[in-house]
Amino acid sequence: MVFMQGFLDEQFNQLEELQDESSPNFVEEVVDLFFKDSSRLLTNIEQAIDKYPQDFYRLDSLVHQFKGSGSSIGALRVKNECSVFKAHCNDRSLEGCRRSFQKIKREHATLKQKLESYFQLLRQVGPREYAVCSRK
Amino acid sequence: MTSSVAAAAPSPAPALSPALSPKVVAPPPQKAADRKVVAAAADEVPNEMHVLAVDDSSVDRAVIAKILRSSKYRVTTVESATRALELLCLGLVPNVNMIITDYWMPGMTGYELLKRVKESSKLKEIPVVIMSSENVPNRISRCLEEGAEDFLLKPVRPSDVSRLCSRIR
Repeated sequence: MVFMQGFLDEQFNQLEELQDESSPNFVEEVVDLFFKDSSRLLTNIEQAIDKYPQDFYRLDSLVHQFKGSGSSIGALRVKNECSVFKAHCNDRSLEGCRRSFQKIKREHATLKQKLESYFQLLRQVGPREYAVCSRK
Repeated sequence: MTSSVAAAAPSPAPALSPALSPKVVAPPPQKAADRKVVAAAADEVPNEMHVLAVDDSSVDRAVIAKILRSSKYRVTTVESATRALELLCLGLVPNVNMIITDYWMPGMTGYELLKRVKESSKLKEIPVVIMSSENVPNRISRCLEEGAEDFLLKPVRPSDVSRLCSRIR
């Protein structure tokens, strides 16, 4: 999984280890749940940023949720950028929040692309082949 | 997205092998993402342990449920503490051996759920485990003082949970 390095952390491996015959698509299902959740959260965050007066408490709460589910799938870069965002909320820096939010959106889009490619690759290679390769 | 444990969901009961207990118990209705797991697990001898998992995040519910089911526990997931209390008090989730709940949730927090459970003569014996993405020592000690069985940092791993469950048995 060389092309995913830096984007995902150990938590993603933990999810892969949980995948078994009783739920052979577990990882992809959880990732799908994440992206479903995250697009809703991103929209809400965007709206909250543009709202005046800014409610930093709500912003922080939304990003906290986003960070939480990102962390649950091992989305390392997304999670880290969320921490930066939260620091800006804490400082009540709207400009900081805006900049950070742009980064979060980029990281999120990149991650989505990479994971889509990854799962596509798995489907082509076949689960047994993958299992053999991943144990090497 | 509501998680319904009440009778409405039309999911078919999985075929139980004849080796299992003669009582045919319909599994708690599962969300689509969970349904496959329940059906496949029917071939194995069901563990008696039933865990109620409470988390407002659909991702975290899926992960904690999978971790628990991989250890052969029966899992019911709900998305809010309020819902969890409703189900517990109405007896809709019988024989819960453990409650595992997120700390920070909109509406009632996991901490408040913990307190309500420990204040209830009917529910207070049920071990309650709190999960949180934040490592706040005050929070941890408050939860433990209030009677939490344990406090897990998210993201939760299978090893955290198996350590827990071996104590609770």
